[in-house]
Amino acid sequence: MAIAKAERLMNLALCLLGTRRPLSKRELRQSIEAYVEAFGPDRSAAGSDDSFNRMFERDKDDLRELGLVIETVENLDGDVGYLARRDSNRLPPITLDAEEAAALGLAAKVWQQARLAGAASGALQKLRAAGLPEDVDPYEVHGALEPRIPVHEAAFEPLMLACRDRRPVVFEYRKATAAHPESRTVEPWALECWRGHWYLAGWDRGRGAERVFRLSRITGRVRSRSGTFTAEVPDVVTVRETVASWAGETADRSALIRLRTGAGYPLRAKATSVRELGDGWDELEIPYGHGLDAWLVEFGPDVVVLDPAELRADVVDRLRAVAKG
Amino acid sequence: MVGKPARPGNAIDQTRRMLSLVTYLRERPGARVEDVARAFGITEDELISDLDVLPLCGTSFRGGDLLDIDTDGDRIWWHNPDDVAEPLRLAADEATALLVAARAVSTLPGLREGDRQALLRATAKVEAAAGEAAGASSRLSVTFESEGGVFADVDRAISERRRLWIRYYSPARDEVTEREIDPIRLVSVGHTYVEAWCRRSEARRTFRLDRVAEIKILDEPSAPPEIELRDLSEALVQPAAEDPEVVVEVGPGGRWVAEYYPHDSADELPDGGLRITLRTPDPASLRRLALRLGRDGRIVSPQDLADRARQAAREALAAYDGPQAVYDGPRGVE
Repeated sequence: MAIAKAERLMNLALCLLGTRRPLSKRELRQSIEAYVEAFGPDRSAAGSDDSFNRMFERDKDDLRELGLVIETVENLDGDVGYLARRDSNRLPPITLDAEEAAALGLAAKVWQQARLAGAASGALQKLRAAGLPEDVDPYEVHGALEPRIPVHEAAFEPLMLACRDRRPVVFEYRKATAAHPESRTVEPWALECWRGHWYLAGWDRGRGAERVFRLSRITGRVRSRSGTFTAEVPDVVTVRETVASWAGETADRSALIRLRTGAGYPLRAKATSVRELGDGWDELEIPYGHGLDAWLVEFGPDVVVLDPAELRADVVDRLRAVAKG
Repeated sequence: MVGKPARPGNAIDQTRRMLSLVTYLRERPGARVEDVARAFGITEDELISDLDVLPLCGTSFRGGDLLDIDTDGDRIWWHNPDDVAEPLRLAADEATALLVAARAVSTLPGLREGDRQALLRATAKVEAAAGEAAGASSRLSVTFESEGGVFADVDRAISERRRLWIRYYSPARDEVTEREIDPIRLVSVGHTYVEAWCRRSEARRTFRLDRVAEIKILDEPSAPPEIELRDLSEALVQPAAEDPEVVVEVGPGGRWVAEYYPHDSADELPDGGLRITLRTPDPASLRRLALRLGRDGRIVSPQDLADRARQAAREALAAYDGPQAVYDGPRGVE
């Protein structure tokens, strides 16, 4: 049976951390059991060099992924060697009290995404190894509160990595009302989760402007593009404000409606004024932002729009479409 | 165990864990399997499988210097501890995962001030220790929505084990009803919810905090029956298999329905729309959806629901017949 990958990675990590001088690829190949088993003790089989090299490169990338700083050093003869210096890999001193440890314990379990859940546990384990207090079981603290960060969108992981590494991406995107998706090339800046949905802000090369994308509307795979960013990344990227305005949360006007007594609690909660008319109806002044017409129509015959005329017309228009069936 | 993300074993996660384990064990000769598993947030079986791998790992390229770590199933011994095992710096993803989550939780409205302060202090310390690795964490952010006042009352009721009285808005029926509930836990998934035992329906119910119109902490003790808490990796509201089926056809402008409603299937239509099949215990609650969709979609079945939506639209339109006419007829269609 082939030696498990975790054992191979662990041996490579310990070799690189344990050495005081750079180790050549040949030395590593000869001393790590998993490489010996897979590729033989020396360059016996032609072609095995290539597969060894590929595996070795992947293994180094995996170790870097979990935080190891591996240096590549060239000696006087031009041979390349590798080592993970202790001082560049050591966690700086960090002292956390029991309360802080419990708080981090709570934070470490909120991700519902495999990669970040694994990374959060890994971070906590590193801190644990560095002396993070254990008196309080993190899984028992504030047991009544369970925050969860949902990630249902397949595009999340590739976009997270592209944001991290500042790599341009291309994906198919279907706008809210579009029949067909369109290809977009984007320099991804930041991801934000609001009300349980993920959004991406970035520079849309085709549009030559900043754009916000909803991840659930990305269809198909997110592919990386070579090259670097062409537009400057702003210091502060605001996703939520843009999305909030889509959601009609940034009202700049107000509307006057009649609402049947007892109906439409959320409209009442948002109203700036409520006047009882006494005939089974109330008159409300409510903020008028994007999407209000669609929302008011949901209340059917319990809402009548009085003003402005434009909103009244939009609501009548929608009602007619439903009445026609 | 409630709410722990289920995650298949993965070589990178295991390697990372074993590296920390080695450091941890060096400081604690004879550590108990049970305690170590708890400290690392893993099962004892997972820990034992790590302990099976470690003796096959060497600390030097010359070979031979294998980690002499063994366990009798109760305690763990490392017979040749080596200084290779120093605490390792955080990787970019590790710092990001921890910092983004800690920042998100610390901004949750209604969180106890002591908890918030502990989170903020911990965040600052982790940022400092992570150094450069913390940089990428600014590229992700998460906001939990909550009603601070309601949250604080629910939180207090849970810790004092007291019953709550609420006036709660149900969008399905567009009505506000009063109920007494025994709160069990607060769950934030985008919005914040309280999972509780509802004394009116004698059943487990989930209430969204922004739909709580009024709340009071009662003197009566809370006594929810022992129930198994749901796994939060699933949607909070799951339709049951026996719920009636509803079929909705939407045009391109109504595709959002598939994003907001849990559904059994969503099939592409030639015009760029979708045919969505979903289940709900109360199909009448979807009248709102039919009205909202307007020309962007329609209820295909059940016919009864489609008729009700059409009827509601006609009644609503009647109010607009005159210049400022108000429809005064019987309320809605039940």
